[in-house]
Amino acid sequence: MSNYTNSPCAACKFLRRKCTSDCVFAPYFPPEEPTKFANVHRIFGASNVSKILQEVAPHQREDAVNSLAYEAEARLKDPVYGCVGAISVLQRQVLRLQRELEETNADLMRYASCLGGETTSAYGGRRG
Amino acid sequence: MSHVKHIHKGSLERFLDLLLIALVVLMTLKGGTSGACAACKYQRRRCAADCPLAPYFPAEQPKLFQNVHRLFGVRSIVKILERLDETQRPEAMKSIIFQSYVRDRSPVHGCLGVTQQLQYMIWLAEEELKAVNAQLQLYRSQNDGQNQQNHNQMMINELGVGVDNKQQQDDVTSQLDLGMGLNVNNNQSNVVAPFFSPLPVSETQQPQMSYTYSCSEVNNNGYSPPAYNTDSGKEIMTNNNNVWGVHNRFLYNDNNGGGFNNQNESCHEMKSNNGVMGIQSQLVNLQMASNHQQQEDEDDPHEYDEIHQFLEIIDDRQSFADSKEAYASSSGETLKEQIDEIGENELRSAATCFSLTSVN
Repeated sequence: MSNYTNSPCAACKFLRRKCTSDCVFAPYFPPEEPTKFANVHRIFGASNVSKILQEVAPHQREDAVNSLAYEAEARLKDPVYGCVGAISVLQRQVLRLQRELEETNADLMRYASCLGGETTSAYGGRRG
Repeated sequence: MSHVKHIHKGSLERFLDLLLIALVVLMTLKGGTSGACAACKYQRRRCAADCPLAPYFPAEQPKLFQNVHRLFGVRSIVKILERLDETQRPEAMKSIIFQSYVRDRSPVHGCLGVTQQLQYMIWLAEEELKAVNAQLQLYRSQNDGQNQQNHNQMMINELGVGVDNKQQQDDVTSQLDLGMGLNVNNNQSNVVAPFFSPLPVSETQQPQMSYTYSCSEVNNNGYSPPAYNTDSGKEIMTNNNNVWGVHNRFLYNDNNGGGFNNQNESCHEMKSNNGVMGIQSQLVNLQMASNHQQQEDEDDPHEYDEIHQFLEIIDDRQSFADSKEAYASSSGETLKEQIDEIGENELRSAATCFSLTSVN
């Protein structure tokens, strides 16, 4: 976290207001990362973000801000699908991998049973 | 009698007046001929015929709009819609409704949590696939070897030449019993690496932190969750398919959750993009590991068993990685020498990757 006694946080800079000591945004929007707050404000709005932060436990606020920043950035880059597009891509990948795993496991079972039979017969032939 | 008639007539008129007033009020609330959408109902305003939000927020599902309003706000939604074409608006609204729904279910992590969960599932599936493929390769090679042996045996029987292949058969059987995966590549330096060995960050995830993410089942708020589906063939995020409907514990990479470029970007590109989220995500998971309320201790043994199972396979692999090569090449090199060559360094590096468990 930056030293907020010296400079206002990114949120207060953006909103052009005085950054007080009890500013709710200050711990999570350092002045070195102006785009983070700009994105979040553009998509969600400062008041919504403030309300969300108030509803979340203090030790979880940084996580909440990070996830909001991620979603805002995704929405700006893809106004139609936002971060949901990535979820869709990943889910398809999961399904593809699961299908591949099922097929490979089936092959494995076939080979295992096949090899087990051959090993037995090989041993029987050799010992007999 | 006339007094009674007068009373009845008066009450009837009053009743009719009341009925008329009720009808007027009802029509005012409904905004004319059609019912108000959930958005206008929530904002307590008249729903105009050209209300931009009406097509997406039916009156029967007020919670959908509440979620969206809480996260985005009406102004933001309208701005987003204005920037898009008519054809793109339904898809955009679906994704917004879905995103808001996820945020309602998971106020701290939202869609980022779902993304991370999916990435972990992909990592798990890839590792499992590697292990199964290695095993399959072993079986295939053994199958080919046995076919060759059978052929040789037949030739021997026909020609009457004696060959002692007992030792070779024992090696094959012992490998099979141990269930290890061998790399049939004769290149000694290219042994089967433990599947949790450090791979390039852009390719996979390095498990570092233990994290439990569990969510109660959806559809317990009295409203149906949005099914996300698009004409472009994207997957439906239905109730049955929701990744947050199960208890999950996964290990998280510090380079995960990077910036997202566009919907068509591959998972690998996402992982390699170390924006602001790169380091922050690590902090996110540090907090999640220590503070999540639904972390369950009884899941610990399961995770440990999962890791331990993999560790056993790796130990077996590394111990016998080149024994097949020795058998195939008949170079005269002993098994012990080959194990020493593979070396303790591989084992150590594998063990350090899993900082949660110790490899003895």
